[in-house]
Amino acid sequence: MISRPRFGLEVKNSTAQVEHEATTSKIGEDQIFFFCQRGLSGEDVINMIVNGFCKQVFRELPMEFAVEAQKLLGVSLEGSVG
Amino acid sequence: MLEVKNLHASVDKNEILRGIDLKVNAGEVHAIMGPNGSGKSTLAHVLAGRESYQVTEGEVIYEGRDLLAMPPELRAREGVFLAFQYPVEIPGVSNMYFLRAALNAIRKHRGLDELDAMDFLTLVREKMKSLDMDQTLMNRPVNDGFSGGEKKRNEIFQMAVLEPKLAILDETDSGLDIDALKTVADGINALRSPDRAIILVTHYQRLLNYVVPDYVHVLSEGRIVKSGGKELALELEEKGYVWLEESAQPVKSGASLR
Repeated sequence: MISRPRFGLEVKNSTAQVEHEATTSKIGEDQIFFFCQRGLSGEDVINMIVNGFCKQVFRELPMEFAVEAQKLLGVSLEGSVG
Repeated sequence: MLEVKNLHASVDKNEILRGIDLKVNAGEVHAIMGPNGSGKSTLAHVLAGRESYQVTEGEVIYEGRDLLAMPPELRAREGVFLAFQYPVEIPGVSNMYFLRAALNAIRKHRGLDELDAMDFLTLVREKMKSLDMDQTLMNRPVNDGFSGGEKKRNEIFQMAVLEPKLAILDETDSGLDIDALKTVADGINALRSPDRAIILVTHYQRLLNYVVPDYVHVLSEGRIVKSGGKELALELEEKGYVWLEESAQPVKSGASLR
């Protein structure tokens, strides 16, 4: 299942270094089976699911970041499915 | 079109299907009924190729080919469609985009030209109108935030657009109010044709009042224990499944009707 991370950090120490780490889980078997049952397969499925998921995050970003992020996503997904 | 022979299937080593025999010809509508846990949904998923179910014995011939040897996407492209009991939500992927990709994957497999956005839109509008669907659903993510009724209607809508040869509907009637049930039934009836077969998996007679089946099969403990015409469904409604479980000997073969 894809989960949408929600987080917030409130830092009151101006000299602190703050990092955030997020984890997401694997794409659900239910979702993949649904795509396959409609005739889609392989890389197309992963692309659609991951893009769809990320789109929800990207649209919150300022335009120039969103465009960049979209491109990066395209690059990193290429060939990631055997 | 479809011939299931002595099909056994398990989930996590629990045997759910224990020897199903079923023959479905083009143009026929078969209803598969049975109590909870009898294996109805398992049968539907095994036919669609769900990997979490292991077929341990038997075979399934679809249009003269070994269905069980095909991966699920190939089965879909060859015309097998499963309407899900619990349709899956796909956040961020619009219904429109998803369905066009699916239709084009199927068309490509069949050697047809892919539809461009305009042609697709025309097709979709026509189908939505006949199913009385809200056009705004097309631009929303697949099933995301849809009501139970909208999800079920969306399955029927996908079926109408993809025009399968063998449609398997897994409890599409559950959770529908009477108006939605009628709309869904109309959608199914519109797809009845001499070259298409439909398998309706259902608990209740209710749907069968609107979509009248040619044959009714009763599943119990992974076997078809009784087969008959549409009147069998009425009898079940009246007497319940207990009547069958007490009276019927499990039928090993011969559940197929011809």
